[in-house]
Amino acid sequence: MLTGSKTTFKVRQMLPDIKERMLSQSGVNARSRDVFGLRCLPGECVLQRAVMVRKKLTAREGRGWLSGTLFCTHFRVAFVPQDSPRPDDNADPVLLGDHDVALASIEKVVVVGPNRTKLVTPNSSLKFTPEELVLYCRDLRVICFLFDRLTPDAQVLEITYTIAKTYQPPKPGSVLSFQNAALGSVEMKQFLSNRRRNAHMNWYESVSDWEQELERCGAMGWRVSSVNDRFEMSTSLSRFIVVPHKVLDTELKKSFAHFNEGRIPRWCWRHPRGSDLLRMASFQNNIYHEKDDIRNLEMILFGCQSSLCVVVELAEELPSPADIQLAHSRLRALCLGDISTSVSVPDDKWLSTLESTHWLDYTRSCLKKASEVACLLRGGHLTVALQEADDRDMSCVVSSLVQVMCDPHCRTQHGFQSLVQKEWVMAGHRFYSRVNYHRDNDKEEAPVFLLFLDCVWQLLSQYPSRFQLTDDFLLALHDSIHLPLFSSFLANCQRERCKRSQNLGQSYTPVNGWRDMLHPDSSSDPSDPPLPPVWDWDLQYSKHRRDRFTQPVPPVPPLQPLLNGNLNTNPDTHRLTDTLPGSVFLLSRGTFSCPANLLPWRSTSSGPYKKSHRRAASSENVPGLERLLKAWALTEFPQALTSTSGPQGPLDPYEPLLPLLMGPCMGLWRECYLRGALHAQAFSHPISANHPHPVERLAQEVQQLKDKLAQVSTGTDRSPSTKTAEPRRTDANLNQNTNNGTFLFPAARPQSKAAPRMTPPPTSTTTNHQTSRGPPPASAPPSRPVRRDNGGSSSSGNKHTFLFGHSSVTEARTYPAPNNAKLPKSNGPSLAS
Amino acid sequence: MEKSGSIDSLGSKRSSSRQPSVDSLSSTSTSRSDRSAQAKPPSAMSSDSVATSAELSPELRVKPKTLAKQVPRDSDKEEPQLLPNETVQDMAQDVTYFCPFIGAMRGTVTVTNYRLFFKCMDREPAFVLDLPLGVVSRVEKIGSASSRGDVSYGLVCKDMRNLRFAHKQMDDTLRKSIFEVLMKFAFPVSNGLQIFAFEYGQVFPENGWKVYDAVSEYKRQGIPNESWRITKVNDHYEVCDTYPSTLAVPVNIPDEELKRVSAFRAKGRIPVLSWIHPESQATVTRCSQPMVGVNGKRSKEDEKYLQAIMDANAQSHKLFIFDARPSVNAAANKMKGGGYESEDAYQNAELVFLDIHNIHVMRESLRKLKDVVYPNIEDSHWLSNLESTHWLEHIKLILAGALRIADKVESGKTSVVVHCSDGWDRTGQLTSLSMLMLDGYYRTIRGFEVLLEKEWLSFGHRFQLRIGHGDKNHTDADRSPVFIQFIDCVWQLTRQFPAAFEFNEYFLVTILDHLYSCLFGTFLCNSEQQRLKEEIPKRTVSLWSYINSQLEEFTNPLYVNYSNHVLFPVVSLRHLELWVGYYIRWNPRMRPQEPVHQRYKELLAKRAELQKRVDELQREVTNRSASSSSERAGSPTRSITPVQTFV
Repeated sequence: MLTGSKTTFKVRQMLPDIKERMLSQSGVNARSRDVFGLRCLPGECVLQRAVMVRKKLTAREGRGWLSGTLFCTHFRVAFVPQDSPRPDDNADPVLLGDHDVALASIEKVVVVGPNRTKLVTPNSSLKFTPEELVLYCRDLRVICFLFDRLTPDAQVLEITYTIAKTYQPPKPGSVLSFQNAALGSVEMKQFLSNRRRNAHMNWYESVSDWEQELERCGAMGWRVSSVNDRFEMSTSLSRFIVVPHKVLDTELKKSFAHFNEGRIPRWCWRHPRGSDLLRMASFQNNIYHEKDDIRNLEMILFGCQSSLCVVVELAEELPSPADIQLAHSRLRALCLGDISTSVSVPDDKWLSTLESTHWLDYTRSCLKKASEVACLLRGGHLTVALQEADDRDMSCVVSSLVQVMCDPHCRTQHGFQSLVQKEWVMAGHRFYSRVNYHRDNDKEEAPVFLLFLDCVWQLLSQYPSRFQLTDDFLLALHDSIHLPLFSSFLANCQRERCKRSQNLGQSYTPVNGWRDMLHPDSSSDPSDPPLPPVWDWDLQYSKHRRDRFTQPVPPVPPLQPLLNGNLNTNPDTHRLTDTLPGSVFLLSRGTFSCPANLLPWRSTSSGPYKKSHRRAASSENVPGLERLLKAWALTEFPQALTSTSGPQGPLDPYEPLLPLLMGPCMGLWRECYLRGALHAQAFSHPISANHPHPVERLAQEVQQLKDKLAQVSTGTDRSPSTKTAEPRRTDANLNQNTNNGTFLFPAARPQSKAAPRMTPPPTSTTTNHQTSRGPPPASAPPSRPVRRDNGGSSSSGNKHTFLFGHSSVTEARTYPAPNNAKLPKSNGPSLAS
Repeated sequence: MEKSGSIDSLGSKRSSSRQPSVDSLSSTSTSRSDRSAQAKPPSAMSSDSVATSAELSPELRVKPKTLAKQVPRDSDKEEPQLLPNETVQDMAQDVTYFCPFIGAMRGTVTVTNYRLFFKCMDREPAFVLDLPLGVVSRVEKIGSASSRGDVSYGLVCKDMRNLRFAHKQMDDTLRKSIFEVLMKFAFPVSNGLQIFAFEYGQVFPENGWKVYDAVSEYKRQGIPNESWRITKVNDHYEVCDTYPSTLAVPVNIPDEELKRVSAFRAKGRIPVLSWIHPESQATVTRCSQPMVGVNGKRSKEDEKYLQAIMDANAQSHKLFIFDARPSVNAAANKMKGGGYESEDAYQNAELVFLDIHNIHVMRESLRKLKDVVYPNIEDSHWLSNLESTHWLEHIKLILAGALRIADKVESGKTSVVVHCSDGWDRTGQLTSLSMLMLDGYYRTIRGFEVLLEKEWLSFGHRFQLRIGHGDKNHTDADRSPVFIQFIDCVWQLTRQFPAAFEFNEYFLVTILDHLYSCLFGTFLCNSEQQRLKEEIPKRTVSLWSYINSQLEEFTNPLYVNYSNHVLFPVVSLRHLELWVGYYIRWNPRMRPQEPVHQRYKELLAKRAELQKRVDELQREVTNRSASSSSERAGSPTRSITPVQTFV
């Protein structure tokens, strides 16, 4: 979302030395920009340029080649296709164009000569003129540029040297200078500080954010506590935590000491059937548990259920961060091949080598664990507490996977962003250490988050029509983590993030608020630019790429924005609630047990709870619980439970998406891991990229006709702009559903933009569009009443707006509430199943 | 694809009972494993079944016009719905079926002259197994002396599954076990009976035997032209008894010379045209190996003939000869009088070996694959087990070979000659796959049917021998999954180019199902000559009649028709996948999670809706611009490119 007061940036070339000055004089002035068309960020300077370069397109981009001009700046290697549309100088800056790569993402630069391949380092000198330039990126992309014979040799050599010198091998200083190159200019800082945060997602930064989530989940009996407001209780926890109503802050304070890093059990999510999901670190065994403390502890642990708590120990069956790191580095090596020698695993050993990376095993085990938890929660009215030694890695994976499986809201783009914000960013996943941006802490490095994304992709590929987000979105997230620019990832916990932004003054004004310019930009240290959150996608990606983050036709029937926390349709529940309150079980390796030392204070016979009726956990519960799990074991079999089995059958949106976990069902995310593999493009054919898909063509025509209509009559100028967003997305969706890496007619067709008829609608609509384009209905912020939503979109719509199912859903919502129940029926058959 | 009535009913029942029961498992697996059965053509009895199951109306969601999906729904009947002229041969109560996924269950077995039908009534809904006898490869009696006096029979099937049954020892020793009866009808050829296709008398609105006509297919390609002619020299199958009667050959080679060339080619299979590039005139020609022998024999006529093929293409002064075999095997064939073209004898020709193994290696590979996927899959070693079957590697080599051919023709504008030993197995795979890559016509449903009729059936792929229709000799070394491999390759292409094919996965599975079922005459016999002699087109129904009568079932909604679009697939093993939907479809755990097919249809509807909208808007625009002759007269009415919608 953009600010209303638009700051415009004229592209300005900074000319720090003579060479650059010469370059700019020789052509990077007004006229040449028309020719080469690189739109620089404020303060970005072009260091070197090479003309007549061809970029190898990946399968997703349509394969083949694209010719254009290659640039190297302080911040990125940019490629501008020959006949790309003229950049709009008034548009907001976008960090990376569709063909660009940030210098910080580059891992290795390799040049291919007539008969040799050479790794280029800042110090190396070339004895031959490269024909090909290959950039190996940290995010597993491999970008290949081919120099034409007509490219001047000097340009080829110069740009190669320049890239080799400026791409920074990661070390603390280089990350900072990279950040400065990208965001350090005065204009950029000002621009960033004026940006509004995405109001459609939950940031979990304030009490009201958390309350909103409690309300969305219908979680009664919980409250938001600000006991950790100053991070005094736990440095790694977020400022606000959710705890049972009945536990007072004073009682709560005593609990922190009993848990590793003070990470006490706290609420994450409530299943619509009334079970709560909690997370906690392991118990501190070396302190004395006082009687009162223990009462508080148990109150926290049992949350609001007071009957049954299952502790799921995550360490046992899940890979450790070190395992993940090893698997991922093997996978990398396998997918990219040995970069310096260009040797890769022979095809006939591919499968077994892939197996031996264990990456797929690990995704499977995470999904399996999450499925178990999801099935437990489905049982209703119990507390499931995920326990991990430090509660900062696998519990992030499992808790968020569970929510993706069970909560349709988390399968929308904004819902997913909120989820990551809640379970990863705010919960204190150590992004900074795990990604190891500075390469100074290899021991801690582990792509836990990437493993999670892979798991989500597995779910997406098995249930393509149950997600509103697409794998383009997952890919974008995957790539962003390798870019050291985002506040979301450049800290290990909220406290670190706050510290940083305190130093800088607040950037990114709170939701709907405007930053009062008390601190002019001079107040912040110029060497420390304000970092945007990763969710500010407008900053990173062009509009047509962002459009592909979501499916245009929401696949599931309209989601009820408010889950009913007391939905109780489960026959098992009664049996479970009948039992004595306060039983605690341990779920481990698929079976339940009640080990004496599960809760350390209960284990010692001299413990204060010796006489407690709770001491002996009632084993009558075990059969009930095991039935829940067994139900899952069976569903893994024929998915009899998943309501999807009947194509026309009613969809229960709360049924978890349980993945198939058999060997042949675990897929390799080829679009991610193999997109760079050069051999994959050996036999590509240039013509395939140029044909728009018929849906897209149709959409364009609709657009043009609409424009024409608007001209002829005095139509509202809103409808055309709304439309521009939608047609594109239908196309993305078509490709999406094929769920396949190689598309014959991919959506990415930069050339199509070149066609004169594609010129964007008059600028007046551009701004208009920002306001009129409502959020996709499925991801409407839950707190918002439904009414408001449709009010917004219907105001923008004459009939023409409701061309796509996407909009028609919105329209359907204007029905009076009683009809709500019927909605799935009217929309369902066409959209769901 | 998930549209069997039983699943539907499941869906509705599910909402009431959440507890998964084994019953529901069985039913899901049934409906899955019975998919071939669902696709059965309509039977005369269908009206009866509707009547009996009227009260189960929620399940009867089948559109009446749809011909497929005649699952016996009436749970009180133990017999299958019979096809026209299908007769019950034997029935047995209390037979146990050992399902590897669900466990043993007891029910009734019915054997007809077409199928084996097992129904277990103890479950709700009833478990049904419906198996065309054609898929049975072998029936074996397993250890008769069990403690309870049970006799156990194992059925090894051609479609990647094994079934095991048991029943009580017959008290009456004179009475034959039902499985003895089954053996008789499963192997009609060995027992002097007729294959069921000859009895099956269903009439379809479409006549599939008219799908392919050699002359009009050549005409579509622009043959005859100045360099190629159509010859009737093989009209009575005298030049080559495994070739079709209509052949396309270079213009300047008279029929007499063709006969002399045929002497030099194994089985008389001379090089003839398969496909010609509409622009460059580069051709794909196919033949068998030259009879070079150990002495390096040469044939002037053959050399001249290949020169003529090269000359027919003015764009290139080179000819590529693709020998599908590994060079070692090609050399070894010299001992048997065969061999390969020496580059001395054939000037300007370049010989390339494609390293594709013979039918025996392929058979062994598929056998290993079956071991890996049926019934149980070892999760932890799945990928390495899959690798050890080498199945995907063989697929890759075939695709890579076809890709090289297509690339030479398209990019190199060079004519190619393709052969293996006899030119009816690997050659057919390579030519048809490369034609599929080169010519968008073959990617339509009709075009694909034409492709099969032409490159496989008319050019004498020996279906009878390779599949062994109705023949009990299961160890026959001539059996081999060559055609399955080809369909697998096609599936790989559809995965890489999801919008390039008019047909869907179900189409391919249906073809393979009826490759074995012996319900249709299409895949019977070994050659065009035999088919004519047996009067197959008169006496049997074509599979294409069945398919073309209900095209909507087999249409890929994502299809985009771009003519002249050449597909170059990625043939690295990294981008190939096992065709889970075929090889592992019996495993109920592998059922796809979502009816994606359904979703595709919705998208198709969306597209049609859009098209309609465009039309409407267009009309509106023309109306308005006509009425208001305001500014902007110049800018507009850009001619709207027609966009096909495939509904």
